[in-house]
Amino acid sequence: MTHLWDRLAEAKSRLKPIQSKYRVLFEDPSQPDAPAAVLVPDPNWMAAALAGGILPPIETYLRDRDVPDGQPKEHPYAEPIGPMTEEQAIEYLIQKDISPAVWRDYAGNRCILRIVPVELIPSDRSFRNAWRVNQDTEMAA
Amino acid sequence: MSTIVAANVSDGTVSIPTTYVTNGSAKAWVNFNGEGTIAIRQSLNASSLTDNGTGNYNVTLSSALQSDEYSIVSGSTDNLTNGSDMCTAAPLTSSSCRVIGFYTDNAGARDILYSCAAIHGDLA
Repeated sequence: MTHLWDRLAEAKSRLKPIQSKYRVLFEDPSQPDAPAAVLVPDPNWMAAALAGGILPPIETYLRDRDVPDGQPKEHPYAEPIGPMTEEQAIEYLIQKDISPAVWRDYAGNRCILRIVPVELIPSDRSFRNAWRVNQDTEMAA
Repeated sequence: MSTIVAANVSDGTVSIPTTYVTNGSAKAWVNFNGEGTIAIRQSLNASSLTDNGTGNYNVTLSSALQSDEYSIVSGSTDNLTNGSDMCTAAPLTSSSCRVIGFYTDNAGARDILYSCAAIHGDLA
C-alpha cells in the first residue's frame, strides 16, 4: 500500500481543488472563555475525499490519537476508503480534526457544534474574539 | 505507482544523495487568507484550517509527522506593496501546528491577509 502522503501528492496533481460550502462552528468545553472556533476544510483534501481511493478510514485516525509519538501509526498505510459526499466529508473532518471532547464526550445542555453554510459565518471580524455558537433553535417546542 | 530506487541524483554535473531530496522536501505547506472569509488558497498535506480567533489559526495535516519535533517556516503580509505584519508558527502535535499573526509595531494579534507556512520533518 502506498503511503498516504504519496496518494495526496498524486491527487493534488490530478484533482481540481474544491472549496467547501460548509464551515463547522464549535466551542471547546475545556476553554469556556475562548471564542468559538471555525473549522475550514482544505480544498485539496475535500477534492480527495469526494474522489475516493485516497483517504484512510476515519477509525484509523481515532486509534492513532492514542499512539505515542515515534511509534508506527495506522493511518498512513491503511486501505483507502471510497468516495464520499461533501456532507460525509464534513462529518469525517469533524471526527478527525476536532477534539472528541467537543463532538463525542460533551454532556452539557448548550449547543457547542454546528455545521453551517459558509455564508452564515460573519466576514466582519471586528469582534471576532466575542463569537459564540448561536443558541437560537430553528423550531419552537 | 512505480518507484525509482537510487542512492544519488545528478544534473549531469553535481550529484547529491537522494536523502537530501527525501529528507529536505517540505512534507506540508499552506497558503491561506486570514481575513474576512477565512479560506485556504493552496496547500499540500493539509486537511483543514481552524480559525481560533483574531490572528490565531491551527493548521491540521492529513498525513502526520513522526512527532511534534519538526520545523516550520512561516511568512505573511497584509499588504503586498507595503507589508507591515508578521506571523509565527510552532508545532502543537505531530499532525497540527499553530500560526499566529501580529503587528510588527506593538505585537498585538491581528488577522493576516496572506499567511503561509511550510513544514519539514519525518513522516509517520
